[in-house]
Amino acid sequence: MLVQRVRSGEADAWQELIARFEGRLLAFVEHRTRDHAAAEDVVQETLIGFLTSLPNYDASRSLESYLFSIAAHKLTDHLRREGRRPALPLAAPSGSDPSGWEPHGAARAASSIVRSGERRELEESALAAALGEQIAAYQRRGDWQKLACVELLFVRGWANKDVAARLGLSEQQVANIKFEFVAKIRAAVRRLGLPEDVFPELYEDSP
Amino acid sequence: MTRAFTQAELEAYLDEALPVEQMARIEQAVRRDPNLAGELAAINARRDAGVHSLGEIWRRHRLSCATREQWGSYLLGVLSKEAADYLTFHLEVVGCRVCQANLADLRKQQAESRDAAQTRRRKYFQSSAGYLRPGGNERVV
Repeated sequence: MLVQRVRSGEADAWQELIARFEGRLLAFVEHRTRDHAAAEDVVQETLIGFLTSLPNYDASRSLESYLFSIAAHKLTDHLRREGRRPALPLAAPSGSDPSGWEPHGAARAASSIVRSGERRELEESALAAALGEQIAAYQRRGDWQKLACVELLFVRGWANKDVAARLGLSEQQVANIKFEFVAKIRAAVRRLGLPEDVFPELYEDSP
Repeated sequence: MTRAFTQAELEAYLDEALPVEQMARIEQAVRRDPNLAGELAAINARRDAGVHSLGEIWRRHRLSCATREQWGSYLLGVLSKEAADYLTFHLEVVGCRVCQANLADLRKQQAESRDAAQTRRRKYFQSSAGYLRPGGNERVV
């Protein structure tokens, strides 16, 4: 396995890993920087970052996703240094919920459900598996329109009416697809014994 | 007031995962509007508190992204029309930056001279090989 060989310090394996991934990383960074030399520097920092963080890398995770996550961080650092990416306040304004994100109803406020990193990772992995199962089912059945619909709703956060207009569906059809998808994911949350209050989107329309 | 950006888009901004044009729009808006900076800080606080969103999990795990091989088939035009149309949607409407990068790289490989890529790879290797440590990069559990 390539990563194991890199961990053992094999120069050939490191060259092979660079050859396999540098092009796509460079394309990712350069698309944003619009500066080839700067993009090469960011990729260089990404590869060094990968080696220095290798003791923390869990090989069950996708290597490509891990490299892209490092590249995104290095790119963000670069854009901050260049003054292109504004710094954010360390804390949200107190006394308000500017995000409008706190779960409604019986769900607890986010501030009261601080969880351990390990617990969060377990919850995330379990939900990713449930989402992946549903997405794979759409792909197997060739339900591309349903997949596109839920992707716009949850990944881009579009409103039902905008999704309907983009995909040539009625708002009722979008609502039905959303209802069916959310019901399946809720069922998975129950089956897996996950806490409901850390996935507020799934319950925000509950009575 | 109508929100200019959705919650999911602000989350994707923090992860450097929005289409580049939209990243630039949010950067400009944050400079003008301190409330928007507050919204972004609130998302960070929510994440620190352990609240998940479906969109960020979907994106982070790349649940609907095509594999490199599938993008190769897309370029060769051997996918079914429906599957190819979905991938075009994923690229252009969802605006997946990682898939855009994979496709751009595959296209570039067809056009770029072998020498240019080799020179770049040699530079990366020479600047990073000093961090390769036999046994020193083993996972710490």
